[in-house]
Amino acid sequence: MTAARVTNARVTNAMHDAWETTMSKTREPGKPAVDRRSFFKALGAGAALAATPAMVTPAAAVDPGAEETKARYRESEHVKDFYRVNRY
Amino acid sequence: MARMKFLCDADRCIECNACVTACKNENEVPWGINRRRVVTINDGKPGERSISMACMHCTDAPCMAVCPVDCFYNTADGVVLHSKDLCIGCGYCFYACPFGAPQYPKIGNFGTRGKMDKCTFCAGGPEADLSPAEFQKYGSNRLAEGKLPLCAEMCSTKSLLAGDGEIIAQIYKERVVKRGYGSGAWGWQTAYKETIAI
Repeated sequence: MTAARVTNARVTNAMHDAWETTMSKTREPGKPAVDRRSFFKALGAGAALAATPAMVTPAAAVDPGAEETKARYRESEHVKDFYRVNRY
Repeated sequence: MARMKFLCDADRCIECNACVTACKNENEVPWGINRRRVVTINDGKPGERSISMACMHCTDAPCMAVCPVDCFYNTADGVVLHSKDLCIGCGYCFYACPFGAPQYPKIGNFGTRGKMDKCTFCAGGPEADLSPAEFQKYGSNRLAEGKLPLCAEMCSTKSLLAGDGEIIAQIYKERVVKRGYGSGAWGWQTAYKETIAI
């Protein structure tokens, strides 16, 4: 949960930085105030940086211990009765 | 070591669906999910056959092979179980399973799926035996109580067998030797004469 929050905060910061960078550029005549290509390039780089720790997080596979995988079946009287009546 | 198996004697199954009902009630299976189903081939025609199907607890389970989060595990009894805490409801196991055993609760609109649910051979899950958490997620743990799956124990015609694979195979062999199989079975010629042969 905490790691996810940190990642989200990093992405938000990266977006903010990218926006600041592009907005602070001097506007050339005939060009829009926000250069779309450079904005998304900076955004992509920031997002990739923020996502890196999440990718190296080890996967959590199920690791059942001896208690979970132990044999529970036993040939109780109940089970013997089941086998007996199925032979009829 | 005994390996748990199901075996459905198609010569005896009368499609009463008691196994389906018993399973749903015993395990308090969520709405819309059937861990066990009765399939009928050539329904309504002379010689129709019914068979009760659920997870067959494969030795080399395809669901286990394709799971991207490795949430499946085998017990020493040969029962295939899974952890609902890890399951992400991706549906890979449903496509891999040759028996259509994995089921998913519908948790919202637009086809969103919940955690996978399937037959546990009435053996619960990774939680502590007979705990409320285990029952809530996986249903009852009859194996830990020294019993067998209720679907088999409830079967009115003793068609569905469950338990130690070697013992139930022996029981089935005894039946076939005594009564025959398919159109060679006792009573078949009385019902269908020579018109249908299986």
